[in-house]
Amino acid sequence: MSPEPVGRVVADRIWKRFRADQPTRDLRDAYRRIRHRQSRGDWRWVLRDVSIDLEPGGALALIGANGSGKSTMLKLLAGVMDPYAGSIHLEGRAGALIEVRAGIHQDLTGRENIFLSGSLLGLPRRLVAERFDEMVHFADLEDAIDRQTKYYSTGMQMRLGFAVAAFLEPDVLLVDEVLAVGDATFQQRCLDRIRQVLAGGTTLLFVSHDLAAVEAMCTEAIWLRDGVVRARGTSHDVLGEYRKWVDESATGDSRVPGVLELVEAGVADGSGGPYPRTNEALDLTVTVRGDVKREATVLLGISEGTASPTLLVKRAVSITPGETEARCRIERLPLPRGRYYLWAGVFERNRDLLPWQPATAFDVIGPNLDWIPAGIVRLAPVHVESSWEISPP
Amino acid sequence: MVVVGGVEPPDAPPPEILHRSRVRLWSSLREVWHSRELVLTLSQRDFLVRYKQAELGIAWAVVTPLVLVGVFSVVFKRVVNVDTHGAPYVLFSYVGLLPWTFFSGALSQASNTLLTNRALLNRVRLPREVFAVSTVLVAGIDTAISTVILGGLFVVYTFMPHATSIWIPALLAVQILFTMAVALFASVAVVYLRDLRLTIPIVLQFGLFATPVAWGLEKVPRGFLPYYSALNPLGPVIDGYRRTILEGRAPDVMPFTVAAVSSVVMVLGAYWLFKRLEPGIADVA
Repeated sequence: MSPEPVGRVVADRIWKRFRADQPTRDLRDAYRRIRHRQSRGDWRWVLRDVSIDLEPGGALALIGANGSGKSTMLKLLAGVMDPYAGSIHLEGRAGALIEVRAGIHQDLTGRENIFLSGSLLGLPRRLVAERFDEMVHFADLEDAIDRQTKYYSTGMQMRLGFAVAAFLEPDVLLVDEVLAVGDATFQQRCLDRIRQVLAGGTTLLFVSHDLAAVEAMCTEAIWLRDGVVRARGTSHDVLGEYRKWVDESATGDSRVPGVLELVEAGVADGSGGPYPRTNEALDLTVTVRGDVKREATVLLGISEGTASPTLLVKRAVSITPGETEARCRIERLPLPRGRYYLWAGVFERNRDLLPWQPATAFDVIGPNLDWIPAGIVRLAPVHVESSWEISPP
Repeated sequence: MVVVGGVEPPDAPPPEILHRSRVRLWSSLREVWHSRELVLTLSQRDFLVRYKQAELGIAWAVVTPLVLVGVFSVVFKRVVNVDTHGAPYVLFSYVGLLPWTFFSGALSQASNTLLTNRALLNRVRLPREVFAVSTVLVAGIDTAISTVILGGLFVVYTFMPHATSIWIPALLAVQILFTMAVALFASVAVVYLRDLRLTIPIVLQFGLFATPVAWGLEKVPRGFLPYYSALNPLGPVIDGYRRTILEGRAPDVMPFTVAAVSSVVMVLGAYWLFKRLEPGIADVA
C-alpha cells in the first residue's frame, strides 16, 4: 500500500435497467411469445443518471432504502455488471467485499476455501500461504480450519469469508453490507480492520443500512431514492436529511388512530422557548382525544432515527372522554446537539390505545458530541457530564 | 454542505452515453491467461469436490469408460461385428472412448458451471470463460487418469503403439479446440435458455452413437464425410487416434483437415458469442 492515496472512483451518469418480469427463460415462454407476438416485460430503471466522483483517500457512503439501487451501483463499480449507459472509471487496484460468504464452497475445508477465496479475490497463492496463519487467527478458526465448511455455523462462515478479504490491501475498497451478520465483537473487529486499511490511504465506498457505521466510517454520503440521487454532501448532513425523510414518511404512514387520537405534541425548553438545550430542562406535552374512560399508561420516547428510542419516560394517567393532556419535564436533557424525534403512545396493559408513533421532531442546541475516532460506532448518543481524574497527573 | 433533490433526470439516458460493449477476442484471451491461477484453483476445487462426495473417489474416472468398453465388446463386437483393422476390439473402442468421455464430461459440467457459480459471478470481477475453461481442464484430468488404464490394456494385450503416435499432439489439439467450443457455447446458452440443460443428456446419448466410438469412421459414406467431419470433428479425431496408435498409419488427410478447420472456426465463433452474451450473464443468472 502506498502512503499517497491513489484509488479514485469516477462514475459518470450511470443508468441501469432490469426486466420487470422474471428474467429466466424457458422454451415454453419463448414459444408463447413468438406465437402470440408478445413482447417481453417492460424495463424498470434501477439507476438513473447517478454520478460519483470520489477523490483518492476519500470515504463515501451510499445510503437509501431497500431497492433504491445502492447494491446495483456497487456491483457496477466492481465490474460485475455493465451499465446501460454512462461510464465508470476506477484508478488503482479495486477490492470488493460483496456477500463475503458467497464464494465459500460447502464441501471444501476451511483451509481449501481460504486458498479458493484468495485466488477469486486476485491474491496470489504465495501471498495467501504467507499470511495463512494470520488469516486463520483473525477469523478465530484455528480449531476448525481442516473441517468441511458445511459443518461451520453461519458466523464461522462469515468470519472465514471476511478473513481473506480483510487481508486484501486494495487502493479502492468497495464494501456492501458485509457486516450485517456476525456477532458484535466480530463486527467491531471487521470495522477495526477496515479502519486500518483506510488509515493506509485506501479509498472507501461503503453501502450500508447501518447508519451508525456509515457515520463512523465515511466523510461523504450519497442518498439514493428509487435510483435517483436525492442528496449528496457530507455524511453528517446527508444522513440528517435521510433520517428526516424516513421519519416523515413513517409519521405520515402510521398515524393510525387507535381508540385515541393524537391531537398535539409539543417540545419546549424549560421556560417555554422552542429550542431545548443540552443539560437543561425539557418540557414534553402530548394531548390525546377519545371517547373512553380508561386507566392507561402514557409512554414517551426520544430517538435520533426511527430506531429504538434513546430514552423512554412513562406515567400512569386516567383518560377521560374528551382531551387529555400529559406534560413531562426532563430536568437535565442528556442529549447532544442534533435533531431528535418525540415518540408517543398510550397503552392499556397490552392493548394500544394510541399506537406507538413519532409525534414530532425537534432540535437540541448544545455542544457537539465529542470527537470519536472513525470506526467506533455510536450506538447511544447520550451526553453525560463527567469528571476525570488522571493518575499520574 | 448538502445538495438535496436537484434536477429530476430525464426519462431515458441521452443516446450518446449508452454503454457499448465491444468484443475483443485477443485482449480477452490475454485476460484469461492472467487468470490462469484462478482457472487452476477452480479446477482443483471441482475435482476435489467431486471425488470427496464419492465413496470410490478417483476410481470413478476409470470405472465409467471400462463399463462402456465392456458393453461395446458384447454388443458391437458380437452383434454388429466391427472391422478394427486387426487391433483388439477392447483397444479399438477404448481409444475411441477417451476423447468421447473427455468431450461429454466437459459438456455436461460446462452446461451447469455458470449457474452453480452464480454467487461468484455476482461478487467478483473475472472473465467468465474461466469457468468453462476450468470444466474442460477437469475433464482433461479425468481423461488423463483413464488414459493410465489404456497403458494397462496395451500390456494386457501385449500391443505396442506404433511410431505414428507422434501425431497425437495434433489430434489432441483439434479435440481440445472442439470441446472448448462446445463447452463455451453450452455454458452461456444455458444461462439464457434454461431448458437446454435438460436437452444435454439427450444430445450426449445421441452423440455417443453418432460418433465413431464403438464403430469405425469408414462406415460414414465417403461423399458425406466432409460434412460429417465439419459437424462432428470428434469423428476424424477418433479415427486419427486409431490409425496412428493402433494401425501405424497417418490420419486420413481430408476429414482431419476439415475437422481441424471446423474446430478453429467453431471455437472462435463460440468465444465471440460467449463474450457477446457475457455482459448480460450477471443480470440473468
